[in-house]
Formats: sequence, C-alpha cells, structure tokens
Amino acid sequence: MLMLKESQIMKIHYISGVAALFVVAVHILIRLPVVTGMPFSMSLEYENVVANYQNIAYAVLLESMLVLIAIHGFNGLRIILLEFRQNIVWENGVTVFTLVAMIALIAYGTRTILIANGLG
Amino acid sequence: MKSFKEDKIYWDSNRRENREGLKAWLNPSRYGWERISYWLQRLTGVFLLIYFVGHVIETSSLVDGKDAWNAMLELTQTTWGHLFLILVIGTSTFHSANGIRLLFTETGRGLGKPGRPDYPYSPVSLNYRQKSGIWIALILAATAMLYGANILFAGE
Repeated sequence: MLMLKESQIMKIHYISGVAALFVVAVHILIRLPVVTGMPFSMSLEYENVVANYQNIAYAVLLESMLVLIAIHGFNGLRIILLEFRQNIVWENGVTVFTLVAMIALIAYGTRTILIANGLG
Repeated sequence: MKSFKEDKIYWDSNRRENREGLKAWLNPSRYGWERISYWLQRLTGVFLLIYFVGHVIETSSLVDGKDAWNAMLELTQTTWGHLFLILVIGTSTFHSANGIRLLFTETGRGLGKPGRPDYPYSPVSLNYRQKSGIWIALILAATAMLYGANILFAGE
C-alpha cells in the first residue's frame, strides 16, 4: 500500500516536526506585545489579521505551517492508530483515511490563505 | 523453497493480534516516567491535532468578512477561551520538548553504552539523561503556560 518505507516516513515525521516548531514560533512571535507593540487582543483585530495575510512572506509561512503540521499531525495519528491493531485492512484503511483527511485540511486552509491574501 | 506469496500467507495467518490496544496505554500498573512521557506525547499530539483542525476552521471565518471574524473572536476571546489557549501552549511546549528528546533517543544520543545485564537489570537506556529530558519538557511547559497566561490576561 505505502510507497515509502516506515523508516522514511519516520524521517519525514521528525523533519516536519522540527520545521513546524520554527514556523509556529514565528507565528506566535508576531502576536506578542513585545514584537507588535500592541496588546494581544488588538493584534487579532480584523484589519491587523487581514494585513498579516496580505503580506506574501507571512502567507508563505502560514502555508508551510499548514502543510508541515498536517503531515506531522496526521502521520502521528496514523502511528497511534496502527499501534491499536495490526492487519492489512486496518493498516490500509488508516493510511487512506489519514491521507484523505490531511489533503482535505490542507486544501481548506489553503483556500483561506488564498482568499484572505487576495489571490483567490 | 516457499515463494514470497506463500511466505506472506504463512506469516499473515500466524501473526499475533495486538489485543491490548488502548487498554495497554491506560494501564497504570506499568507506569514509570518513560511510560508517562510516552502516554503524554500521544495524548498531547491528539489534542493538538484536534486543536489544529479547529484552528484552521475558526480562522476561515476571516474570508466571510469583519462581522464573521468578530463573531468568532467573541467566542474565543473569553476567560474560558484564554484558559483553553493556555492549555494549548502547555501541551504544544511539552510535545515539542519531549519530541526533541525522542529525536535524540531515536538517533542513539543520550542512551548510554550497552552493559552486561546484572541484577537488578536496570536498562542503561532509561538513565538520568532521559529522565531529566522529561522533567525539562514538563518545566518548559509550565513556564510557557505562565508566560502565556500573563499575556492573555494582561488586557483584562
């Protein structure tokens, strides 16, 4: 069923986890009062958030965060579900379910980023 | 000599089912720090995945205009919403720090050298470095939660 070996998938899992750590750190930093110079609640106002999304560099950061966390998260869920039970039907079913859920979430999140950025 | 297909059928028909499943996760009789860390890593991972899906959905209200965004903020920017975010900060910090410890463990760092199995058979891999890694993850999570609370409740 899988094109990749489990050892390769685990490498992707670790790399996506470490990379996500950096992009999430930036995502949080740009909301901190010490960086923005405004209270946290004010940084969440509609105009400020739209301005963030319309910044191409930030939109790229959001998209990469979406992809990295979706890969890491749904693969993590796959690993947990494979620990519960082992047979071909279950293993293939879990893999297909997590892949479809991951692609659907990435597509939905990308739609938000594109529309808010003004590209969609 | 058996063919690959015959070999696979033999192993598939003789494989043992993992019957414990979730019960093995939750069985407290075999808990050490490593097991608590294993359990917390999975629990925080599932929680963060659920939060992430919810976060992608809640932020999509941005495309429906200012009113939809403000309606979403009214739901989340409350005392309970802030307490939930503090939980997210704590779980994500623990998951990240413990994940880095696991990354080192998987690559063989901090495990110690294999030794002769003498009584009382304490495995060298479960050493003070591993345990201190778990403690560091917990302390970092608590510190991040305090910092997050300070920022989230500063405006109230």
